[in-house]
Amino acid sequence: MFYRLSGVYHSSLISDSRMFKVPADRNLAVFLLLIGLAAPFILPSLYLNSYILPWLIWTAAALGLNLVTGWAGQLHLGYAAVMAVGAYSAIHAVRLGVPWEIALIIGGLAASVIGSLFAFAALRVKGLYLALTTLAMQFVMDWVLTHSPTISGGSHASLQAPTLALLGQQITSDAGYYYVALGWCVLVTIFMLNLKRTGLGRALVAVREKDFAAAILGVNSFYYKILAFAASSFIAGVSGALLVATFYFLAAPEQFSVNVSIQVLAMVIVGGLGSIIGSYFGVALILLVPGLVNGLVVTASEELGMQVNVETLAHIPNAVYGALIVIILMIEPLGLGKLYGNIRDYLMTWPFDQLRK
Amino acid sequence: MQEKAQGQSILSMNSIEVLYDNVMLAIKGVSVQVPKGGMVALLGSNGAGKSTTLKAISGLLKAERGHISRGEIKFDGTDITEMLAQKRVEMGICHVIEGRRVFEHLTPDENLTAAAPMGMSRSELSVEKDKIYDYFPRLAERRNSQAGYLSGGEQQMLAIGRALVTQPSLLMLDEPSLGLAPFLVAEIFGILQKINREEGLSVLLVEQNALAALEIVSEGYLIENGRVVMHGTAEALKSNSDIQEFYLGGGEGANFHNVKHYSRRKRWLS
Amino acid sequence: MDWVFLSELAINGALTGLLYSLFAIGLVLVYKASSVPNLAQGGLTMVGAYVVLALARDLGMPLWLAIPLAAVVMFGLGFGIERVALRRLAGRPVVMILMLTLGLDIFLRGTTLAIWGGTSRSMELGVSYEPLFLGDIFISRIHLVGAGVALALFVAFMVFFRTRTGIKLRAIADDYMASWSVGISVERGVGLSWALASVVAVAAGVIWGEIQGVDQALSLLLLKGLTVAVLGGLDSILGAIVAGIILGVIENVGAEFLDPLVGGGSRELIVAAVLILTVMIRPHGLFGRHDIERV
Repeated sequence: MFYRLSGVYHSSLISDSRMFKVPADRNLAVFLLLIGLAAPFILPSLYLNSYILPWLIWTAAALGLNLVTGWAGQLHLGYAAVMAVGAYSAIHAVRLGVPWEIALIIGGLAASVIGSLFAFAALRVKGLYLALTTLAMQFVMDWVLTHSPTISGGSHASLQAPTLALLGQQITSDAGYYYVALGWCVLVTIFMLNLKRTGLGRALVAVREKDFAAAILGVNSFYYKILAFAASSFIAGVSGALLVATFYFLAAPEQFSVNVSIQVLAMVIVGGLGSIIGSYFGVALILLVPGLVNGLVVTASEELGMQVNVETLAHIPNAVYGALIVIILMIEPLGLGKLYGNIRDYLMTWPFDQLRK
Repeated sequence: MQEKAQGQSILSMNSIEVLYDNVMLAIKGVSVQVPKGGMVALLGSNGAGKSTTLKAISGLLKAERGHISRGEIKFDGTDITEMLAQKRVEMGICHVIEGRRVFEHLTPDENLTAAAPMGMSRSELSVEKDKIYDYFPRLAERRNSQAGYLSGGEQQMLAIGRALVTQPSLLMLDEPSLGLAPFLVAEIFGILQKINREEGLSVLLVEQNALAALEIVSEGYLIENGRVVMHGTAEALKSNSDIQEFYLGGGEGANFHNVKHYSRRKRWLS
Repeated sequence: MDWVFLSELAINGALTGLLYSLFAIGLVLVYKASSVPNLAQGGLTMVGAYVVLALARDLGMPLWLAIPLAAVVMFGLGFGIERVALRRLAGRPVVMILMLTLGLDIFLRGTTLAIWGGTSRSMELGVSYEPLFLGDIFISRIHLVGAGVALALFVAFMVFFRTRTGIKLRAIADDYMASWSVGISVERGVGLSWALASVVAVAAGVIWGEIQGVDQALSLLLLKGLTVAVLGGLDSILGAIVAGIILGVIENVGAEFLDPLVGGGSRELIVAAVLILTVMIRPHGLFGRHDIERV
């Protein structure tokens, strides 16, 4: 009824490989994009900039990790380190007088170069061992960051980001930051949607399923693995730079620590490996729900007149965050994207399937 | 009690249906009887549902997200349709799964220990092991090397030996001849026959190698597309012209039979 | 270079390394019995230490009673983890199980701190802080005690994996399906391995809690524990002990030389480098099993 496939057919390969095969999907995407564009006029800027904006940028970052973990099947526990490379290179470039547009690309490319180093680990090992290696590389990067004052910004280990300026416009308003984040997130999403229907996307999936079988089919898994890491690292680098430019305003090593790497991976897996819409859900869940639950606990304790320990409150979000990962994996190991798919399949025939029963 | 049960079937499986993932109907109403102390073969081509039938009996379906959606399985008169795999092993059903899956990083000796029921005492276990090494002298020679490095035939013997440690009264084997040289197949089947004779162990054998299987069993079922399409004594099956043609590779004037082949096939599949 | 000083570094490094082994044994146990990575050992260690403290301080039990009781509680918790969470994911790709154990780790840490607060507490085992002297070499008593516990657990588990239950656990790690087919209760086996790892976590929590205080820093042992486990071979208990000693010596001696060069804090770097090199050069570690592939 609401989500229909009837009457939708394709008579050529071109039309069958369109980005949105079902008009309902396309309409939904357009509708959501319109809401996204209108958001600054609807939502108070507090919500906009402290919830929606980080959600968009983290989604872009999570999509980048999804490329390497979901599509190419390579576990990556050092993603935050790659984001840090992008962030620090971009900021240093701007401080040296490079315009932001170019600085973002420099950040992305620098992240690509470092990120490809992770790929060399992926050429040697897979699965658990790759996860451990990338984890160790994350620690090395953390160490380098905190131990080189020239990179991390002197004794306080924090680096002020210069004011963001794009296309000759200084961006200082809340709505401005928001649109930058939205633009980047939409760009990455379109890239990922297109990746699905290109040879590159298919090659990555082949490498994921069985790399040596892919090699027999003539897919150079060596090349595609590096490509996947490089592309994903580029997205990571720019996302990291934008995160500092529009949200943190101050770069510090702990913003890109190992916990953040785990968090991004959690977003991707909870959202669903290889699922684009799932990444949106996953980021929302991991980023926003722990805070919401904490807010609820505070309100509830005030209502009930209970005294909740400050320390308890401080640690509830973490407990909730961990519990969310465990619970989602238990309910649906394929993540929220799969749950969304199930609901969509259900709505496909609803309410007519009720008649049949 | 023992006397009374003589001549009855140890296993009776009545119109079983199996669903994988709640969508794929793998077998569609299969009924199989195994007489006490008998040897029965399930024949059929790839994907016909033979392995699924065995997994339904041993309870290993759950591990592959399948379940029995209809029918019932009785073992020794008890309904085991919903029973846990582990309980079924305790009752005396043991399934030698396809592909010689021995515990590769354990020695053959440890493989046997791993399968021993928790209640079995140390001395009972060593008697049991000796018995298995008697049946399979090749294993005895290599009892302390790593099982992963045994040859294919030795691994198959180990898998059977490992199943025997669980003290089964019904042994189910899934394609024991897969990838083995003919003389090894003959050796293993000979040993199976010997165990069947000496200990009264009932055997349910899944085979693609119908020729070898029909030599040792007393009766057989032919399964195609998830259904039993033929059932009879080994002699009857061996002399059946369809079986000869499709499964035993015999038949005369192959070219001419291609036409007939089609029409005969068609009669079964619907 | 002063030989006395160097051997002091090496001996203390080896003792500290054995304490890493104590932690790593928890990882190895779970991997050896189920081929699943246990990244929740840091969280478990923290919970173990806090449970001991809760029994000893809040309920006023003597430590000799609190520690075994905590071990019993943790044994139950380990079984519970398998029952509630891991069972549903049996047979899923390693990514998901990895994430599940990471999620568990985060959950355990968050919950522990939410209940007991983040301020560092002391264990007060009553081991004297007076160092022992071996000739001219200083040795810390608590490190010696911890190393002893690690070695005792090592012997206990070596024996355990030769028993019938132990062999069954190793069989499960090899092949879930084949284990089911011969009537091994895979679920109970995996649960047992987590229960044992949780008991080891109590030991690690008590010793490390005595050394560095009971707080969230206990979970940071994960990187060192992982490095030890991988270097030794993820499924080898002997490996965990040997690798612990090796890593401890490399770390202690290496840091002494590297720290002046890089301005301190090179320990983590050394550990991470050892982990990367191990995986690159010899992924199955010193004593780990090679995966046997036959065509």
